[in-house]
Amino acid sequence: MITQTPKWPVYVLGSVALVWIIPLVGIIAMSIRPEGEITSGWWTIEPFTFTLDAWREVWVNYPIGRAFLNSLAVASFATVLPVLFAPAAAYAFHYLKFPFRRILLLILVNAFVVPNQVVIIPLFKLWRETGLIDTYWSVVIPFVGLSFAWAVLLVKNFLSNFPRSLIDAAQVDGCGHLRTYFFIVLPNTITAMAAVGILQFMWTWNSLLLPMLFLRENATLPVMLSTISGAYEPNWDQRAVATIITSILPLVIFLFFQKYFSADGKNNSGSKG
Amino acid sequence: MSVQYGSILTSQTQAGPFAGLATRLFGGNLRRADWIAFALLAPTLIFFSIGVLYPLFETIRVSFLDWTGLSQPKPAGFSNYTKLLSDANFWNALRVTLTWTLACTGISVAIGWSVALISGLAPKQTAPFRVAIFAAYGISETASGLMWLGILQPDFGLLNGILRLVGLEGWASPWLGEPSTAIWGVVAAYVWTQAGLPLLTCYAAIQAIPKSQLEAAHMDGASHFQILRYIMAPLSLPGVRIAIFINLLNSLKAFDMIHILTSGGPIRATETVGYFMYQESVIYFKQGYGAASTVVLLLAVIVCSIPLILDKASESK
Repeated sequence: MITQTPKWPVYVLGSVALVWIIPLVGIIAMSIRPEGEITSGWWTIEPFTFTLDAWREVWVNYPIGRAFLNSLAVASFATVLPVLFAPAAAYAFHYLKFPFRRILLLILVNAFVVPNQVVIIPLFKLWRETGLIDTYWSVVIPFVGLSFAWAVLLVKNFLSNFPRSLIDAAQVDGCGHLRTYFFIVLPNTITAMAAVGILQFMWTWNSLLLPMLFLRENATLPVMLSTISGAYEPNWDQRAVATIITSILPLVIFLFFQKYFSADGKNNSGSKG
Repeated sequence: MSVQYGSILTSQTQAGPFAGLATRLFGGNLRRADWIAFALLAPTLIFFSIGVLYPLFETIRVSFLDWTGLSQPKPAGFSNYTKLLSDANFWNALRVTLTWTLACTGISVAIGWSVALISGLAPKQTAPFRVAIFAAYGISETASGLMWLGILQPDFGLLNGILRLVGLEGWASPWLGEPSTAIWGVVAAYVWTQAGLPLLTCYAAIQAIPKSQLEAAHMDGASHFQILRYIMAPLSLPGVRIAIFINLLNSLKAFDMIHILTSGGPIRATETVGYFMYQESVIYFKQGYGAASTVVLLLAVIVCSIPLILDKASESK
């Protein structure tokens, strides 16, 4: 690396990062202070009263445990299904030749252009007619459908670096395509699928529009969060608690895996490593 | 490669159970390997057809109908689209979308790229700051919006609090309640969630620069600024390009943040086309009209992603 590291980037980026840290500090402060102190400014230092009342009240006043389970169910189903199906599709597109292969692949990988807004009205009518409204399927189906655009592309790109000699060896040893897929390719796509799974879980856990319209009886956390504020008082403290509960799981997963996304200080292209 | 591969498969030719139908559909060319391919694809295609293709075609179909909830749908030709063109609210939505998309993309990428470049000079010491900015990408727009209310709220928000503290009382304002400033409040909160992505892609591009190249520049007496300007900046451009596309598409499709902070208000000052569509079809139940505006949104996204689509067309051989 460069022989001397300058000091100024630390100060500059430290002050930029403050903008990212302050809203987090704010929401934590709001969740542990009485509402009276919040409305005179959550950042004020005097007087500071520590209280967990809001944490207790939010459990009493809102079905937050139920919403947590709904979010967990929706995000898990919407993650497991693409993780199971995308490698199979990518395998077929990458190694097999079949009619309409190229046009199917083009339609599938370019579906990333479709905004959620396009699917809401037709699906709302479809779910109402089929009785799927307010079931997990009503959001899982579009989430899974929309995920294939990038999930299939990601796994297919991964497969283009996959050693073909392994596949050929399996074929020579008498493996059909299904067995080659299940025993040779699938175990090796786990890294690619982990990336797909983490991002998909985070996105579906966090999304608001589809669950807000399709899951009115089974609100997920973001949907419940968007409705918390009493008729006569805005419930700032309880809203802050619900905000933290909504964010904690994706944030923990994200921080745990962030090294996985950002290759930190490592690269293989340099002569000195 | 795949052509060569196909030749292994032809030896396994065998009629499937629906050979008759298949023969008619594909002219007798459907082999056993094709059945395996479609079996592997089937779950993907089923979810994709119900969850994406059907609603896509249905939206386009409805956009050519005169349909306002209670009435029977009637064919309407292009009348929904011509009505959009004469709707001042739609023009307003287009204007807001343009400001919103350019501002969100420009500011997110500018911040992410600069942070990536600067931290390229001291990667180890600045790692926690990168994590902080990147982590916000993992928080939902709903939650981030509420966190930003703590900053922008008129009575006890931090921004007005600081202004009062330093004696700029007159500058304090209900940021989200004022038509001229509301969009910038929402932009700030949205950029907060989105800047992590350009940071990630640009930083990855900078990390891929061979260390020897940076060291050589340093030995030749290049200053930190010159290394940043003439080596890191140009070599991180691929990361910038990807980030611009992703952020552009994300902000065109944005809904959650706008919904949680302003619901399109005050007086439609933050109503993008993506939100206009929601108002017309979900709130006012003008289905045909709402669908037409959704098709316009779809076209906007497609136009912005033409370079990406061309990329994929050449890739997917």
